Order: sequence, then structure tokens, then C-alpha cells
Amino acid sequence: MLPILKINLTTGTSEEFVIPREWERDFLGGASLAARILYPYLTKELDPLSSESPLLFINGPLSGTSGPTTGRFVICGKSPATNLWAESGIGGFWGPELRKAGYDGLWITGKSSSPVYIWIEEGRLEIKSAAHVWGKDVYETQELVKAEVGVKGAHVAVIGEAGERGVLYSSICCDHGRMAGRTGLGAVMGSKNLKAIAVYGKNKIVVEDMERYSALRSEANRALKQDNEAKIIHEVGTAGVANYAEYLGSMPAKYYHQGSFPGVDNISGSKMTESILTGSSACQGCVIACGRVVNLGDGNKRKGPEYETIVGFGPNLLIDNLEEVVRLGELCDKYGMDTISTANTIGLAFYLYEMGKVTKQDTGGIELTWGSFMAARQLIHMIARREGIGDLLSRGSRQFGAAFDAEDEAVQVNGLEVAYHDPRGVSGMALSYATSPRGACHNQSDYFFVDFGHTYEKIGITYFERQAQAEKSANVARHQDWRTFFNSAIMCIFANVDPQMQVDLINAACGLEWTLDDMMRSGERGWNIKRAINNRMGLTAANDKLPKALLEPHTEGGTMGFVPDMPAILETYYEARGWDKETGKPSKEKLLALGLADIAVDLWG
Amino acid sequence: MAAIFPSEEWLKGLETKLNSDEKYSEIAKNWEGDLFFHIEPEGNLKEELTFYLDLWHGKCRKAVYKPDASAYPKPVFTLSASYNNITAVLTGKMNPMTAMMTMKLKVQGNMGYMMRNVPTVLDFVRVANDATEEIV
Repeated sequence: MLPILKINLTTGTSEEFVIPREWERDFLGGASLAARILYPYLTKELDPLSSESPLLFINGPLSGTSGPTTGRFVICGKSPATNLWAESGIGGFWGPELRKAGYDGLWITGKSSSPVYIWIEEGRLEIKSAAHVWGKDVYETQELVKAEVGVKGAHVAVIGEAGERGVLYSSICCDHGRMAGRTGLGAVMGSKNLKAIAVYGKNKIVVEDMERYSALRSEANRALKQDNEAKIIHEVGTAGVANYAEYLGSMPAKYYHQGSFPGVDNISGSKMTESILTGSSACQGCVIACGRVVNLGDGNKRKGPEYETIVGFGPNLLIDNLEEVVRLGELCDKYGMDTISTANTIGLAFYLYEMGKVTKQDTGGIELTWGSFMAARQLIHMIARREGIGDLLSRGSRQFGAAFDAEDEAVQVNGLEVAYHDPRGVSGMALSYATSPRGACHNQSDYFFVDFGHTYEKIGITYFERQAQAEKSANVARHQDWRTFFNSAIMCIFANVDPQMQVDLINAACGLEWTLDDMMRSGERGWNIKRAINNRMGLTAANDKLPKALLEPHTEGGTMGFVPDMPAILETYYEARGWDKETGKPSKEKLLALGLADIAVDLWG
Repeated sequence: MAAIFPSEEWLKGLETKLNSDEKYSEIAKNWEGDLFFHIEPEGNLKEELTFYLDLWHGKCRKAVYKPDASAYPKPVFTLSASYNNITAVLTGKMNPMTAMMTMKLKVQGNMGYMMRNVPTVLDFVRVANDATEEIV
């Protein structure tokens, strides 16, 4: 891979960091490589919003190569929401553009004394004043910065008002509405007074064996175009799965307290396609084009919501008005806030209001009644500006719950709000949430797809009943390894590409001779180093748990009263992982077997 | 009456079951769509075999064994699978969603409509399983 540019915003200086060849071999790129690079710096004492806190934008070896869904990059650091490992993947064109500008990463530390943006053109760095865009929304900022740098092909990653004000689930946005939403890295960027990063380059993106890679990517993209899942996502977006998820009981409603949502037909991806959809949008080189473009009757083209936003502002709040869901999602995007965490935290406020723990006096007179999109809209404004109850909400559901003596009602794991795939309907998500390195995340292992029926026999990921218990744990661990590989390559989870093709693409791109086992081992190595980072930042076995709401049975809907048996599930998971059950750390033997000798010494002495 | 798959008798039995099964009738009450099902030769099946089914509001209006494709120019869905894969689904050895998500069952048609009606699709497979006594 290309060098990483280290930029210190306190001093305004920069230097190149050349990635050690053996790190590329062991961790490939993306989030796994970022974990290797940042390991020494992510300590328990580090304040994620301090000037010392690192923020690493990094590509993978396939970024920008026009392979199947490879237009992606990832942003990593320490999360202000969880105080643990932070990573957030994002599509668009920014990562490939950075590569064309001569770098595969930007490693940002320090803090500027006033708002700035970074401009990298053909490898040259400029740090410019952002005073005129501070306070602007993410869409305006992208346009203003693009106009100012004056280069048509420039791509801009930005934060919104939420990131400037330190909302703990602030996102980083690029290419209109592509979002790195999870773990609050927008707040880290804002804490550095960094509003935007614009990049432009003309270099050709090349890989080790271009001829072989070109043939493989054509074959892979052709197959992907014919893939059933890809066709579904192209035609109806990621929310196309809403009806099926509702049928299985895996789509949460009423802040995870209702087992079914009769209004699903009004908010599903199919409904969007039949009513307000006017087009689709794609990341660099992607043949799927999951992005939705909608028109709400005012002639404006808008970004349409994906599954998480639809469920978060739809069933989660008992709202079945698709147009209002579009508007709520758009408002979050403009402010630069993660829609999963925003909707989840607002859902908790509605729930506590119903319980009588949050009162009208607390809300400043707003009635938090289920189905009220007006109330949700008012809260979004207040969160972004940290006004009134919005200040408490801006700290996420764990802190919001604690403020009302109801922390255990918050549906979160380790400070990250649970995504909208209920483990009572698809039990593999119990482990995905409880053990993910970044809290309750659905992208480190989107195991709900496996529980829907998607298997990967070549790499030993087989089908278990969707509500199977401990017998499924080792299968989930393998899926986590597989997705960790994805997040290092970097590819999108919607790319249903044959695993052997994956290895072939990596080998052609990187000059390796990997087998499927090597690929899985690389993923396992990445999973374990992220775990080790979290262990040294204070995470123990006691952190591997689900919130109360997800362990209470529903009396209606597709879950049929099922709840995950967490002690049994974790017991077999730890065995499969080779982790120490007392401390929650990867065992010394496991770390040594993965070639992580220095980490083994650090964790175990 | 269950029958041996694949055969004209099996398809007739499936049609009868679809028209008499109360659960299917309820779940599929909103379904409107005909389909071609192509079974690709493999194992004991030596040449491609096609069925045509016209499914409408919880009933099967027509089932044709080896249809003349030109008589049904625009089916809502066209499904295709190899003989071994379709028999694995019919005998319950393979989850129908697994077949679809791993491309063992290929689908062409309105995917949005299909996703909105997954319960109907799954219950259709249940009835087809019931209609299958034996695999050739």
C-alpha cells in the first residue's frame, strides 16, 4: 500500500509513515491494519477528545480498484461514545481519491487553534481556514469546500454541527450522503477543530498483477450483477429486507419492546420503490448501487434512507409514515449524526417518558408519544445543538439512561446503541452485539444474513436454525473472522462474492499466495488484536453481555417467546475463540499462534 | 396425494394441494403472479424440465408440465435451479432462503414484490414439500 500521511494539527507539520511490509502481509489493510498501527497509542488513559487522540483514515489494498464493492475506506481511533476501539467504514469516492492523490491513509493528531480543513492535491498538503464553513451542515460544507479548492474532481469528507459540538455519536460524511456513522468519530474530528478533508489526485490506481486482477474483477462484478441479493438491494435498497425481518421478529419495534409492527408495508424498501424512489446511487466502481434517491413531491432529489434509518425512525418509534422517516434521516445526516444511535437514544427517551421517568418538564414541554415524528424532529434539533434535554441525549443512550436512574433500560452494549436486528429473531446477533470490538455493531458480523439462510460453505459458515443457541457460537466466530477480513480488504458486506474469488483478488492485488485458511486466519488476527486493544483499555469478560430488553421474551410476533441463553452461548464462544474466560482476554497461546507475540507479552507479561 | 418428483402427476398433486391448503390460501391471499420454473439437468434428470404455475390470491389457477413457453411470454417470475438443488429444497435438506441467497436458486423478476411476500414463498415451498412423496 501507499504511505500514510501523518498530520499534526497543533504544529501544522506532516511526515510520511511507510507501512511495514510484514504488517500488510499479516493485516492486509483497513481496520485490521489500523488496529496494528494504533495499538501503542490507544491506552486506557487516552481521552478520545484530546489533542493526542489519533484519527486514522485508511484504505485497504482493494480500495479504488473497481473490484466488487471496493470503493471504500475506514476511519479508526478511540471512541468517545464507548472509550473502546472505534472504526467506521464508509463508501463513496473519497478513499479512492486519496489513493490517487498518493496516500493510503491520513493519520491526524493534535488540535488546531481555530477551525480548519485539510486540502491534499496531488500529494501536496495545505491546512486552510474553515471559519466560514464552521456551523454549516454537511451538504453545504462539501459544496463550499469543493468550490473553494476549485478542482472539479475533488472529494470532501466533512463533519456537521453535531461533530463540532461533540455529540458522542457524530458521523463523518463524504460524497453527498455517505456516512461513517458509528462510534462517534465525527466528535473526534470536531475536537481537533477539523471541519473537512478535501482530496484530489490523478495517479492511476495499480495493483501487483494488474492483468490478472482485471480479469478477476470483471468476472466477480459480472457474477455480482446476477446475484439475487445484489438484485434485491439494487431494486429495493437495503430496506427491502424489512418485510422478511418483520416476519421473523428480527425488526425491532417500540424501542425493542414490541414483537411486531403491522405498519411495515408502509415503510419497507418495496414501498419506497413503489412510491417515492426516483433513482439509485453507487459508490466508486460498485455494480449494486444500494443508495436511494427519492422525491417527496417538492422536486428536490433527496437521499433515501437505508434499512437502519427506516427502522430506527419507523417501527422503533412506531412511525409508519415513510416520508417523515426520510425527513428525520435527512435531518440527522445534515447535522452529521449517526441515525442508528440517534433513533435509539430518542427511542429510549420515548420509552422512559411512557414509564414516567422522563417528564414533560424534562423535555421542555415536548410530549414524547409513540408515533410522534414532530417530537422526534424537535429532539434531533436539540441533540445537535445540545440544548435542553438534547444535551443529555447527545451523550448516547447509556449516559441518558443513567441520568434518569434507568441505565439498564438503554438498549446498548458498551456504550454503542444496538442496531436494528433483534437477536430474539436471529440469535446469531446476540454474539455479534455482545462481543463486537466496537459495541453493539451489526457490521463486524452481519450474522442476521446467515440466520436468514446465507451460508458460506467453502469457509465453514453453515446454517443453524435462526434461533439456535450455543451450538451456533463457533459459526458466529468464523463469520466475525470473515467480516474482519472484509473490513481489512476493504469491501462492502453486500458483496456476495465467492470466498475463493476473494482470495484470488487479494492474491492478484497484493502479490500473495494465500489460501482460504490464510484469509480466515488474517481475519481472526484482526479480530483478536482489536480485542486486545479493548482489553488494555479496560474491557473484560463482564462487558460481553446484552441489555435487559433483549433478554425479555415477546408475547407476539415472529420471535415466538425466544430469548438467547447468553451464559451458554458465551461459554462455547470463548472455547471457540481460545479466550480466557476469567479475564476476557485472548489467551497467550492464541495470540502466539496468530503471530502476535508482542501483544501476548503486553497482555500477559 | 403426494407423488414422485419430477412428474406430471407431481405437478397435478401440487396444484390440488395449493387449492385445498387453508394455511397457504390465507398467507398467499395477496399474491398475484405466474412463474416459470426451469430445472436444469443433473444427476437423474437428463434434460431441462420446465413447469408453469399461475398463482393468484392463494390459489393455483393453472399448472402446466413442460409448457409451450411462447404461450406465456411474460411470467412475473422465472426461477431456475439444478435438479440436485431443487430436490434438496423439496426434501427439506436445504432451506429455500439459503438456496436463494447462495444462488442455488436463481430468481428473475420483481425482487421488491418477492421480498414483500417472502412468507408466501416459504409457504409455497412447504406445500411443495408436502406434495412430494419421493424423488426420482
